[in-house]
Amino acid sequence: MKELLKELCLLCGVSGNENAVREYIIDKIKDICEYSVDPLGSIICLKKGKRTPDKKLMICAHMDEVGFIVTSVSEDGTLSFGTVGGVDASVAIGRQVLVGERRLPGVVGSAAVHNLPTEERDKAPKIKDMYIDIGADSRDEALRLVSPGDCVYFVPDFEEMGESRVKCKAIDDRAGCAVMLRLMQEEHEYDTWYVFNVQEEIGLRGSGASAFSVAPDLAVVLEATTAADIDGVSGEKRVCALGSGPVVSFMDRSTVYDRELFRLAFDIAGKEGLPCQTKSLIAGGNDAGAIHISRKGVRTIAVSVPCRYLHSASCLADMNDIENTYRLVRSLTGGIYRL
Amino acid sequence: MDLKNVIIRLSETPGASGCESRAALTALEMLREVCPGAEISGGNVIGKFGTHRDRVPSLVLDAHADQVGMIVTHISDGFIKVGNLGGLDRRLLPAQPVTIHGKKDIPGVICSVPPHLSDGEKVLKPGEVSIDAGLTQEEAESLIAPGDTVTFRVACRELSGGRITGGAMDDRVGIAAILRTLELLRGKETAFNVTVVFSAQEELGERGAKIAAFEIDPDIAIAVDVSFAYAKGEDKSKCGYLGKGPMIGISPSLSREISDDLIKTAQASDIPYQIEVMNGLTSTNADRYSVNRCGAKTCTVSIPLRNMHTPVEVADLRDIEMTARLLADYIVKGELQ
Repeated sequence: MKELLKELCLLCGVSGNENAVREYIIDKIKDICEYSVDPLGSIICLKKGKRTPDKKLMICAHMDEVGFIVTSVSEDGTLSFGTVGGVDASVAIGRQVLVGERRLPGVVGSAAVHNLPTEERDKAPKIKDMYIDIGADSRDEALRLVSPGDCVYFVPDFEEMGESRVKCKAIDDRAGCAVMLRLMQEEHEYDTWYVFNVQEEIGLRGSGASAFSVAPDLAVVLEATTAADIDGVSGEKRVCALGSGPVVSFMDRSTVYDRELFRLAFDIAGKEGLPCQTKSLIAGGNDAGAIHISRKGVRTIAVSVPCRYLHSASCLADMNDIENTYRLVRSLTGGIYRL
Repeated sequence: MDLKNVIIRLSETPGASGCESRAALTALEMLREVCPGAEISGGNVIGKFGTHRDRVPSLVLDAHADQVGMIVTHISDGFIKVGNLGGLDRRLLPAQPVTIHGKKDIPGVICSVPPHLSDGEKVLKPGEVSIDAGLTQEEAESLIAPGDTVTFRVACRELSGGRITGGAMDDRVGIAAILRTLELLRGKETAFNVTVVFSAQEELGERGAKIAAFEIDPDIAIAVDVSFAYAKGEDKSKCGYLGKGPMIGISPSLSREISDDLIKTAQASDIPYQIEVMNGLTSTNADRYSVNRCGAKTCTVSIPLRNMHTPVEVADLRDIEMTARLLADYIVKGELQ
């Protein structure tokens, strides 16, 4: 699982340009299911089981990651950029990035701290005050290498930390993709739809379209969600914790989850001795927000991997949580048809 | 020498202020190729270049071996609290990858409070910075202790157009420029008895240079450091430009005679240069050499740098080569007055 996650995280796929991730996934699934790519770029897969159930189950994760997009090229050869998805300016400043299809190395620069007025040094930085430096010395030189509209990626750097933790960009939501790829390898009792969505990070765009196409009765959204179990944060504000298992929420900012599915997940976890937790704060949102109100409504649950520093180049997750997410979802899909 | 690879090797060897030994040893090993008698003394790398003669003025070429970083103050619940070593930009710390130099090098990430819990305007205050190394308290305590240093965990990368980025360009590019200067001087008669210093603890207030200056007692000292290169957000009047050559300092605290000689040398040798005017102290090791013992003539020769004191410092290889050529030509020609 770790190798699979690493390969997925090292791929560059900012929302709207998920090509590299899509190609990788298609290569993995082309011989084990029926699949098609929808007009927005999501991969819709049907994994045939021994039986066709009365209710259609869809399991999904998103392929895209947060990043940046080049908006213009300045006279001095530096690039102005915007964020794609929710990237806090404080995790953009002072990072190495890769620009465009050629993955040109660059850095996100800003005025040196020495030259800032004292009051500015304690103020959060702003994207508009930053630039990307690819080494070009003029606009013409830069335009020979990049164009406005080019995607910009955090430099991928997968590292193992401590006993069981891993750090990389894009664990949100390549962890979900990895769990799905593993589930899809197995023999299925029931026909199951698997969808790898595009454009989650810019407002749950791909999942709305793919859910309409699949028209499921039940949906399981596999995600990565913010864990704030870090120094300086206490109590319910920690939201969820690394190592405490998959996160099943009752509500976030985009969805009130199906109560029965929520209970079922905890029942199954209890029976199987799997750790499982819920969020202690109503925060975040994911593709469930688009899926549960698709067509005439879809009974939806989200199972998420807790992840620190979620929308940064240094997402940090625990492999045990990812393993347990896989186990919980595998059991859940068995139990879900009894509802 | 392969300037680029020398810079990469120097910049990727850690040496936070006060704990420079790894960077200093790497620099020493490189220096010994041209100054076989070089040694570490009081934390500073010191090497005499060539044979020193009588009645020849002495000159120190100084670049500092240390880099800004952090120091472990406390371990709590597996999280490693740190204080800063030198002036850090706290705005860019959240989620920044770092290496903790404990019993071994340990990767970590600086804790970042997610947006839903902060008001979006908050910057980590000194004393609020802690590192997540994915360790339990017990694991952390077995590997890390208060006083261990921390540096940004970043690999050097070559950008387009001869630029290079890394986490310790300040001042490893200065060390590289001096090593290249010595290479250019090899076999040549010099106008000075040259001693090289790769000094400790510059970022904490030029402390290494203070004792090196006393030990060597030079007539002239040139601090080869970095200075601000213009980029978006900077004040053009306070910056040089990448790729336009070394920045020769002029300041009330520096010797105008040396500044002028360096300018004349650059003009005579057709080396591009820039003038950096300061109005008092220079915040470089020159400030220490100038008031050492009974005083010394000093000047700064600075390599333009973007994003100083960040993991993404950017320098231009051409500036480092031109700095070396300027210094070598000056050392051959000597005082022009």
